[in-house]
Amino acid sequence: MWALLVLIGAASVSAHLQDLSFDEQKVFRVLPQNDEQVEILNFLASIMEVDFWQPDSVTLVRPKMQVDFRVEAEKSFDVEGLLKESGMEYQVLIGNLQAALDAQFDSKARTTSHSYEKYNDWDTIAAWTADIAAQNPDLVSRSVIGETYEGRPMYLLKMGKSGPNKKAIFMDCGFHAREWISPAFCQWFVKEAVETYGKDTVMTTLLDKLDFYVLPVVNIDGYVYTWTKDRMWRKTRSKNAGSVCIGTDPNRNLDAGWCTLGASNSPCASTYCGSAPESEKETKALADFIREHLSTIKAYLTIHSYSQLLLFPYSYTYKLPSNYEELNSIAKAASKELASLHNTKYTYGPGAETIYPAAGGSDDWAYDQGIKYSFTFELRDTGRYGFLLPESQIKPTCEETLLAIKYIANYVLEHLY
Amino acid sequence: DIDDVGHKYYLELELEDVLDKDRTVNCTAEVLYHLGSKTSAPDVQVTVQGELRSTEEADQEFYNWIRSLEKELVAENIPDSHGNIPPELEPIHLLAWVASGFLIWQNSTENTKFHLAQIKHVKQVKRSDEDLQFDYVLLLHEMVSQVI
Repeated sequence: MWALLVLIGAASVSAHLQDLSFDEQKVFRVLPQNDEQVEILNFLASIMEVDFWQPDSVTLVRPKMQVDFRVEAEKSFDVEGLLKESGMEYQVLIGNLQAALDAQFDSKARTTSHSYEKYNDWDTIAAWTADIAAQNPDLVSRSVIGETYEGRPMYLLKMGKSGPNKKAIFMDCGFHAREWISPAFCQWFVKEAVETYGKDTVMTTLLDKLDFYVLPVVNIDGYVYTWTKDRMWRKTRSKNAGSVCIGTDPNRNLDAGWCTLGASNSPCASTYCGSAPESEKETKALADFIREHLSTIKAYLTIHSYSQLLLFPYSYTYKLPSNYEELNSIAKAASKELASLHNTKYTYGPGAETIYPAAGGSDDWAYDQGIKYSFTFELRDTGRYGFLLPESQIKPTCEETLLAIKYIANYVLEHLY
Repeated sequence: DIDDVGHKYYLELELEDVLDKDRTVNCTAEVLYHLGSKTSAPDVQVTVQGELRSTEEADQEFYNWIRSLEKELVAENIPDSHGNIPPELEPIHLLAWVASGFLIWQNSTENTKFHLAQIKHVKQVKRSDEDLQFDYVLLLHEMVSQVI
């Protein structure tokens, strides 16, 4: 191995990192276990320019410390070889620094930056999904599950420490465009997961033992429309054949008692069920994903607003689900957890009698697919601000809701099937 | 269920003061929804057990402020998209809430649930006397049909 080091040393004598372009430059993350491995990093830094991102300098490196550093393109191949040979744990954090930088500047949303305590527009959320995954590669990965009617990619975040045979919980937000607190919650959840992993025992166990699929906005086209044209829009933005009216209610569009009650077959209605179940690209993408991962998804959570309700099946019928008692006691306990923070009162129960009968809902559909823990949250408030919940309430709403979500997730973990 | 008349509901309610969350008042109400009638508002009788605190001071403050304006008040989108209401317009919002209560009562059936979603537009109407007059365009949200 030392021969290899000498070779790299010789080649690097004239190295300098004055490059203006960051093309092909890599950022490595390593975990030196002992003094010998720390020495290797010292050696590396002595024979070439290594830009330490964390800690600030090689002199601060200690065993068992996570170390991030940047090296120029030509050297990265050698560095990687050296790391492999040494047996030191490493990963390529950023494979192409220039590309990552470009991605940041390309985003139109950089005029307004992301905030967990503000409502973010779609471009900002989209950029955030990329960032949060890039910054937390051990815990978060991003994928695209489909495209909206207007051609926007539907980003999905998979959260959890990677491991074999893990079961999962699926959570989505933003089914209905005007319910802005909903996507805000999904973003908050992701933030809490990455920030408290390793610090909060419950969150750490959840992410170690389970995966969370988080779909921050289902109805992206509708969400964009509420930012640009009509704050009170609810449905998707798809054209309806033979009508001037636009859009389908995505939460009437699933194949669960489809269009039998609580939904309309008129394209102009707010609760239009669509031309057929899963007629909307967004609901089809969601349903396809869940179907494909059915063997691993053990709970389904869907976030809406407003009314402060925690609902479970059924909404398409007044009949009760087979595990009604269990779902009811979970809902009761989760509501209690939620109320423990700010005394926010939730009502819970089966959808049809608790809010109104409505067919075609995603929670009923998921349940009938075999996902026996299926819940719909209707977040704050009860009508004072309704859809226009002030940004000052984002934090308290998300904090209390998180308690309920964690309770449910924990319950699912302890009752895997 | 009252034959040939309609459905009567007996309610026990706890009212919470919007401006002072720790202040509550109990009341009872009787609501009669008329059979089949879509044009008639439900009959409502309310008994408040206790006292509603006086809003005279706040009313006077608001009145004086409007009277002091150089031009007739005009505003829109209250709250705005992000839920914000400029503090001085909060009374305008509360006034709209009261007015919408009347509208909601007039249009309610057993199958509706209305809330004031937003003040789209409000315009003060000039008057020759000392009363204040406002024209509102309100957005009402109906929960069951999800119509606004």
